[in-house]
Amino acid sequence: MIPDYYEFCNSAKVVSGKGAIENLGFELAALGASRPLVLTNAQLLELKIATIVIDALADTDAEVVAVYDDVPVDSSVAVVNDVARVFSEKGADAIVAVGGGSVLDTAKGAAIVLTHGGDLMDHRGAESLMGRRAVAFIAVPTTAGTGSEVTSAAVIKDTERHVKMGFTALSLLPDVAVLDGRMTVKLPPRLTASTAMDALTHAVESFSCVQANPLSDCYARAAIGLVREHLPEVLDHPKAHAPRLALANAALLAGVAFSNAMVGIVHAMGHAAGGVAGVPHGDAMAILLPHGMVFNLPVAGDRYGELLLDLAGAEVYASTPADERAAAAIDAVRAMTRMLHERAGLPLTLCEAGVLPEQVPDIARAALDDGALSMNPRQPTYEELVEILKAAL
Amino acid sequence: MAGGAQRRKRGRKALAAIVFAVLGRGLVACVRLDERVRADVRGWPEGTVVTLRIAPTGPQVSWRSADGALRYLGGRDVASDLLVTFKSVDGALPVLLGIKPVLRSFAEHRAVVRGDLTLAMSLVRCLHIVEGYLFPDLMTRRILPHPATRRASHATAYVFCLFRTASLDGGTA
Ligand SMILES: [Fe+2]
Repeated sequence: MIPDYYEFCNSAKVVSGKGAIENLGFELAALGASRPLVLTNAQLLELKIATIVIDALADTDAEVVAVYDDVPVDSSVAVVNDVARVFSEKGADAIVAVGGGSVLDTAKGAAIVLTHGGDLMDHRGAESLMGRRAVAFIAVPTTAGTGSEVTSAAVIKDTERHVKMGFTALSLLPDVAVLDGRMTVKLPPRLTASTAMDALTHAVESFSCVQANPLSDCYARAAIGLVREHLPEVLDHPKAHAPRLALANAALLAGVAFSNAMVGIVHAMGHAAGGVAGVPHGDAMAILLPHGMVFNLPVAGDRYGELLLDLAGAEVYASTPADERAAAAIDAVRAMTRMLHERAGLPLTLCEAGVLPEQVPDIARAALDDGALSMNPRQPTYEELVEILKAAL
Repeated sequence: MAGGAQRRKRGRKALAAIVFAVLGRGLVACVRLDERVRADVRGWPEGTVVTLRIAPTGPQVSWRSADGALRYLGGRDVASDLLVTFKSVDGALPVLLGIKPVLRSFAEHRAVVRGDLTLAMSLVRCLHIVEGYLFPDLMTRRILPHPATRRASHATAYVFCLFRTASLDGGTA
């Protein structure tokens, strides 16, 4: 199925595998940069994960002019402005962001400030930022989930004005995404499972959203296959680098898919559950994905049916009659979340994730306002959202 | 022929300007006619200026929120808090003429948004309701996410659009 019209962009160079970190110096030089600011958080320094990057850079022509390790769990506008200030003061010419979604989003925010100046608030929007980015930007993800290393989107909180600012722009895409098994090998099972379900949800949602296209489909399907194959392996052998790298690739592939084809109702409800009840993003994805798929089934059934091949493998796909494949795909997702519940303690219901029944109306209202909903193949009413959320309680 | 192409383009822009004028008054009227639109607009910060524009030079239409109502600002240049810019008149017309769903045009990157994306979602909800009043069911079945439900008839909405604009502009209620 080819849409009447679509756009697709993935301009980030991907450097993946053994010794990828050691190539950072070369990649910086290739971008014409030599004075990186390393952006990370204190915990990653303590765990000696960010240190791997800093040590590798010490061995190159590049000079690390600053290590900024004060990034909070939620990227905030104050920190973004502070990073931009340090960047300018130290005469840096590149950002090497080492971390999860919040570190990468902070780097994207700082890049906006450094390129366009002024108040970050004035630059909110979708595709409204014009022109090239003024600074080189390399992303080294330390979770295998958000795919932020290849997405053109960022979310940054303004803690004073109590607003969440959304940005999408091609100039937010990093120049290089570096994947190395060493970066995710210390992730505990619970977080590994939660972030992997975020990646899986990116892939499933982008495959069934209104802007799915032949290119994003390839990325989505490849991502799902890698999660199915390698997530159990990572739980069996958490210290092994190869399956970790496979999951990191899955997250990247899913990131490319959703940066182009967008996500839908599961993310809308998940963002809302995060905002209203503090449910961690990956947990919300794991809980809500099957419910979102059930809601979309009447319009996206054929697409889900196709995904059974990636979600359950060739044997199951071939032995399932065509008209039962969509339901079987949802069952395969449920089986995966059950497995993660048993092996990693992932919650299966919103109640287990700390959501109170009386919070459902607020979550439903916030989901209606979430941009992700607009790309869902089926538009729910407020009442329908409440029903879906109640089913997930 | 370059001249012919230019003329056709001018024609399409003129058509877009007419639709903007109708839509502009239509949305103001819907705040009066329909409590769903009213509820959404009440959520907009006081004085919010919202603009739909066609790149690079217009036409455009803007509204300003005031006391829970909307004031139609026409096509003049204003400082917008939320600016939705269609990349071309050709990308905009199918949406403006009720041929293509608003959300599909966003999915196809036909328009870019500067400003608060939550506000943009609210605007889209309002536009869906306005489309329910401006277009017949035969059309809205294809472009709206849900069957259109109205609090007043098409005719009432058009009367509000065409003849009560002045008082609505005054934001009297
Ligand atoms: Fe996500």
